[in-house]
Amino acid sequence: MRRLSSDAAHALAAEYVLGTLRGRARHRFEALARADRHLGDVLRLWEEELTPWAERIAPIEPPARVWHAIESRISPASSRVSRLASDSFWRGFALISGGLASVLLAAFLWLSGGARDEALFVAVLSSPDAVPRMVVSMHEPDFMRVRMVKPWSGTEGKSLELWVLPASGAPRSLGLVPNASGDTLIRVATTDARVQGISALAISLEPVGGSPSGLPTGPVLCSGVVAPVKKA
Amino acid sequence: MSAKTGVRDEFPPGTDRLAQLIARSALGDRGAFAELYRSASAKLFAVSLRIVRERPLAEEALQDSFVNIWNHASDYARAKSAPMTWMTAIVRNRSLDIIRRTREEPDIDEELTANLADERASPAREAQERAEAHRLQRCLGELDAEQRQTIALAFFHGLSHSELANHLRRPLGTVKTHVRRGLMKLKDCLMRAETTASQGTLDAPPFL
Repeated sequence: MRRLSSDAAHALAAEYVLGTLRGRARHRFEALARADRHLGDVLRLWEEELTPWAERIAPIEPPARVWHAIESRISPASSRVSRLASDSFWRGFALISGGLASVLLAAFLWLSGGARDEALFVAVLSSPDAVPRMVVSMHEPDFMRVRMVKPWSGTEGKSLELWVLPASGAPRSLGLVPNASGDTLIRVATTDARVQGISALAISLEPVGGSPSGLPTGPVLCSGVVAPVKKA
Repeated sequence: MSAKTGVRDEFPPGTDRLAQLIARSALGDRGAFAELYRSASAKLFAVSLRIVRERPLAEEALQDSFVNIWNHASDYARAKSAPMTWMTAIVRNRSLDIIRRTREEPDIDEELTANLADERASPAREAQERAEAHRLQRCLGELDAEQRQTIALAFFHGLSHSELANHLRRPLGTVKTHVRRGLMKLKDCLMRAETTASQGTLDAPPFL
């Protein structure tokens, strides 16, 4: 690709962010900035410099119908269809949708697994097309069992990272999980801050070695709500 | 760390509440996404309304933008911008797309434009955004009045070069020059400010 001079890159990026770059030129620049990392960096620089100017505008409450429309457009049903059709199911499924079915399935899978030790909590992690992929259970005093029910194919050169969603705050990583059938034990104490007040668990696809930012960056492969089994 | 110290200490440094809500949205947490909407929608709606100027169009822009934010929430972790900056850029882009489709004639609220300089800044949620906005304000102050007015009209109202020319009753070429020169002057000032900030209080020679 032909490289723009630094001045040209700045001039285009600035007018793109300002909004005066229009029509086909705007779309062309967008495509270039996606493909060329340097140009993308220049664009982000201008976005970071100019965009906070918008803070000067006094807020105006939008009508409630906007949120209702957004909610219906991100509903699990519609997102599942469009995502499978487009073959790129970036998140977009409700953690809640599994609900009771997941809990029952968890209990079933757990008991049929022949485990005798009682778990503190169990979660079935399902993919966006509602296929159960993993059963995760927390055990006293210090381990979490990740049972892979159905591994993924085509994830070579990527890592699977396990995340916990606390009741509030950012997701926390519990580390990487091998993409293979069978059990993985993760050493984590039941008193560890990362496993307190968990509402859900999820697996995201990350670069080898895990998310570079400490927060999930890749598509969510599966997720599920946590069902308490035994009072801690 | 003991479990009693609470979860807040566990977050990666530099992430605030909005960033956490975006990260949770990336994992499909609809409750977090609803909270994100409640926290940011009024600001973003106002940004869009300025550009598209009709409420139904601003509602459309806001709706499309939030669907986008939900679908691309996992990109945010890589974007490294302040959360409001990231979301505002999405809303501005969508709004500009919409006016390209709908607007024939620019229709500027004269009073709004005249009062642009007097608008009170609302309290920014993020120190990063506040510092950047402050630096930007200072650098905008270094521009000619006409350059500044032209750039502000484009930014807040989404005016194109020809719309700016009509509105300001200036030749198209003059307007384009004001925009281009103004932006480059702004860049020089912002880079100078950045260099000074990164060098602290020492009088190191500028390398730019």
